[in-house]
Amino acid sequence: MRIPYFPGCTLHSKAKGLDDSTRGSLAALGIELTELPQWTCCGTVFPLAQDNYIGMVAAARILANAAKEEGGKLVTVCSFCYHVLKRVNYVIKNNLEARKKLNDYLEENYAGEIEPVHPLQICKENVGLDAIRDKATRNLKGLKVACYYGCMLVRPASEMNFDDPENPTIMEELVSAIGAEVVEYSYKTTCCGSYQILYDNDLVMQKVEEILNSATAKGAEAIITSCPLCQFNLDWSQEKILQKNAGFQKIPVLYFTQLLGLALELPQESLGLDQHYVDPRPLLVGA
Amino acid sequence: MAMDLSSKISRDLIERIKEISGQNANLCMQCGTCSASCTGREVMDFPPRQVMRMIQLGNTKALNLKSIWVCSTCLICTARCPRGIDIARLMEALRVINLRQGREVLVAEKIPLELLTEVPQMALTSGFRKLSA
Repeated sequence: MRIPYFPGCTLHSKAKGLDDSTRGSLAALGIELTELPQWTCCGTVFPLAQDNYIGMVAAARILANAAKEEGGKLVTVCSFCYHVLKRVNYVIKNNLEARKKLNDYLEENYAGEIEPVHPLQICKENVGLDAIRDKATRNLKGLKVACYYGCMLVRPASEMNFDDPENPTIMEELVSAIGAEVVEYSYKTTCCGSYQILYDNDLVMQKVEEILNSATAKGAEAIITSCPLCQFNLDWSQEKILQKNAGFQKIPVLYFTQLLGLALELPQESLGLDQHYVDPRPLLVGA
Repeated sequence: MAMDLSSKISRDLIERIKEISGQNANLCMQCGTCSASCTGREVMDFPPRQVMRMIQLGNTKALNLKSIWVCSTCLICTARCPRGIDIARLMEALRVINLRQGREVLVAEKIPLELLTEVPQMALTSGFRKLSA
């Protein structure tokens, strides 16, 4: 099965491990991601001002281009990309005035036919958790994993229509399927502070400490996420938190696709495990 | 926080916010669910519930709050508001009014170099979109 794929601005550089492990693990599950022939940054944030159509143009163009490919779907793994593409698509589908304005601007005739999908949904709905269980030959038994969703994947529920907005479980189901142990904790949909890392560092440090402490208190040994910005905030901030609080316990923060790739026995060097601030390799590959 | 609702400045602000956000802030009954849920509440000067009240009253001080810039648009307030108000859109309206007058808080030169070189591209794009004019 081939599905058009939108990597987004960060995946060819700072989050290369997410790109490689997503393509690799889905290929191992029989899904070939074919990158769109041309694409731009999606804009990263959905404009919340009603009159800001220009903030939706980039995403609309990506969707209109995806509609020229076969399959009717567009896969994207970064939580921000998924959020923006899904919401702009929702607007184009349901708001005739916005649809007309965006199409006039782009000289397209796109009406929201594309379904933006996330690899977590592909794993569950297209491949199936039982098939993944069969293909996950590497034993991750005993590895305690906390799943972190953050904000953009699940909210607002009416438009994202992704999973339960207060208690999503799709990532946990995948973790169980590949044989690792799920750790339940309270902060899985709490925002990490997002782009505030650039403006109000203290806010991000405080949120990250809350989130990580909540997971480690329940025995988590690793955290997984699908968002390059969550990954960065949760990972990069740990050294700074440790400098202020000597009792702080560090924990590796991975992309869920890296863990999936390990379980599917993809070559370790293809997963980008060396690209994190808190090195996950001692825990995961027994180095 | 009493305001003279008949003042033209207040009425204009209320109208402007309504136009940009598409939200009716008067539905807010001050339950505080937004403040209790808010990501940034501990570093805000006024929590979202109080910002909502300022908007209802057309209090122009709402435009000068730190809170509106600290909001990370994580949408938890919007998701949980029992009155169905998209509070994140109201916060955006306050930011947008500032930005369209050239007032901004995220200045490229002030981002520490160690952060600038490490942070994922998406953080720069989203940060500048939300916090820079």
